[in-house]
Amino acid sequence: MNEPTRTGNALITLRGVTKFYRKGDVEIRALDGIDLAVGERSMVAIVGPSGSGKSTLVHIIGAMDRPTAGEVRVAGRDLGAVPESELTRFRRETVGFVFQTFNLIPNLTALENVTLPMEFNGVPAPERRRRASVLLERLGLAARSAHKPRELSGGEQQRVAIARALANDPPVVVADEPTGNLDSKTGAAMYELLREVARERTVLVVTHAEPLAQMSDRVLHITDGRLADTQPT
Amino acid sequence: MVLFGLRNVARNKARLVLVAVLIGLPYFLLLAMAAIGDAVERYTEVLLASVNNTVQLRARGSMGHVNMVGNEDILPQEALEQVRRIEHVARVEPYLLAMTPTEGHNFGMIVGVVPGDTKRLESHGEAGNPRIIAGRDLTPEDAGKRVAVIGQGLARWAGIRADNLAGARLTLDLKRTHPVIFALDRQPATLEIVGIYASGYVFGDMQLFMPLDTFREIYGVPAGVSWLYVQADSSANLASVEQRLRGRLGDQADIIGPTSAAEFQSSTTRTVLRLTRSGVWFAAALMLSVVFFVMILVVRERAREIGTLKALGASDSGLVIAALAEALALCAVGSIVGFALFGLVGSAASHGLFAIGIAPFLPAQYKDTLGATVALSSQIGWSALGLAALVGFAVAVVGSGYAIREILRLSPVEAIRHE
Repeated sequence: MNEPTRTGNALITLRGVTKFYRKGDVEIRALDGIDLAVGERSMVAIVGPSGSGKSTLVHIIGAMDRPTAGEVRVAGRDLGAVPESELTRFRRETVGFVFQTFNLIPNLTALENVTLPMEFNGVPAPERRRRASVLLERLGLAARSAHKPRELSGGEQQRVAIARALANDPPVVVADEPTGNLDSKTGAAMYELLREVARERTVLVVTHAEPLAQMSDRVLHITDGRLADTQPT
Repeated sequence: MVLFGLRNVARNKARLVLVAVLIGLPYFLLLAMAAIGDAVERYTEVLLASVNNTVQLRARGSMGHVNMVGNEDILPQEALEQVRRIEHVARVEPYLLAMTPTEGHNFGMIVGVVPGDTKRLESHGEAGNPRIIAGRDLTPEDAGKRVAVIGQGLARWAGIRADNLAGARLTLDLKRTHPVIFALDRQPATLEIVGIYASGYVFGDMQLFMPLDTFREIYGVPAGVSWLYVQADSSANLASVEQRLRGRLGDQADIIGPTSAAEFQSSTTRTVLRLTRSGVWFAAALMLSVVFFVMILVVRERAREIGTLKALGASDSGLVIAALAEALALCAVGSIVGFALFGLVGSAASHGLFAIGIAPFLPAQYKDTLGATVALSSQIGWSALGLAALVGFAVAVVGSGYAIREILRLSPVEAIRHE
């Protein structure tokens, strides 16, 4: 795993993070003064109703979006001070993304999808194929590595997406409603898989499913852009 | 990333076929229009070359024959130099003329020309060079020599035939007179006849052509010219040449030119050329627009994927390279489709397009003849094909580059949500 740089004990620190969107003349306050600290090797669920700001929060943590105000530090990097070109590198090395709709590249096989982040990171072709094969085998997809996304089930596609998120061995994995497009059984299995992933790195999971969230180390409730921290029961 | 972009080309067969046809059709249309343009251009070149764009000058009020009663005035030698300096004058051919009495047709016409220049017939100047039927024509090596070519009518009068041409001679007696010919106090001159021509005209066959310098020596005309034939560099410039000639020599020369016919011909030709060129430009603009917008669509439809790749850590430069590689490959496939289609049905399509798009607007005299020549040029040169492909590629790069730049300005989240 890429070694994270610590800020105290926290891998992720947010101070007064605010995010406004403008839709025509209307200003939408997606995040409103968020303070947060997340340690290493933990699984944090972010729960809240639609439009509460939970996806915006993980996008900012994952450097997919920038806050309007406030400070975001991830793995020792102040993301507000990092230029756009550096953010690309940061995303490549520090964060793995898992999307609700999987977002696999349709004309690439499962194996090629997993090798893609390593290709961006300059890993030589034989090495990235070897590592991708190991990851797919670990996730029970060895037999499906030559298949294209359309030939895989939803659960299989999401497992390929998780393997892809782990390809560059990032210290942080962000999963935005990873079970949203899966049936409840597959969703639970997926959550279990993410729990396993969280033994080696920090996993932030956005979810609507409260029962799944309770499987996390920590649950963050977000409403109207404000955060309420709870421990799972 | 180049490979990644190239793999995108074949990601969906239906998409590939659609893009190839969308790009190929305007390519095909452009080639068909270019074929028509090429045919029309070549046709009008031939047409314009056949237009008489030559002006004749002779001394004011005189026929310019050095021994013709009341018509012996000739143009001064300076006129020749003045004419040569006029813009758009391509060629100047000086003539010296005299008459000699004969029986039967009364007189023959003696002409001094620069060997190699056009041998025009009096009263039938439009006929051009008459055909040599025996012996040879005058050559530049004949300059100053006492040699001549003779029309078959005058040759018959002189007893010269093809079978006795070798060593045949004709003596000109400059003292002989005729009601319209006065005597010149010059010694008789004997010329070796090296060739016989046939013009197709009775009077045209009663002429003799000798080198200009020989004429000067025989007739004692050290300077000056009877006629000047002035050829403009194109029929389009004939009017301006004639205008300048009138400006410089109008007080001392009669200027006879086919200006109206040439003007009509050149303006009609210009219209035809403009029409076909407009068609080519229209087809080119259509092709470039289609390529540009297809490339924009091809990139924009993948905005979500590009956002995902950015989220996975793809660099902007890598994504630009992938998009450009895909654009060039798609454009290459499209242009191959267009070229192949043109090779298969280009000739028929050129005819069809010509009949629908060009012919209805043509002046009447072009309609029948041009329609028949279009098929001749349905083969386009490699340079034109290459140019069309290159310009298409350049526009594909611009369109694709523009679209990818727009998407890369967005954050990964915005790109993924982009519609």
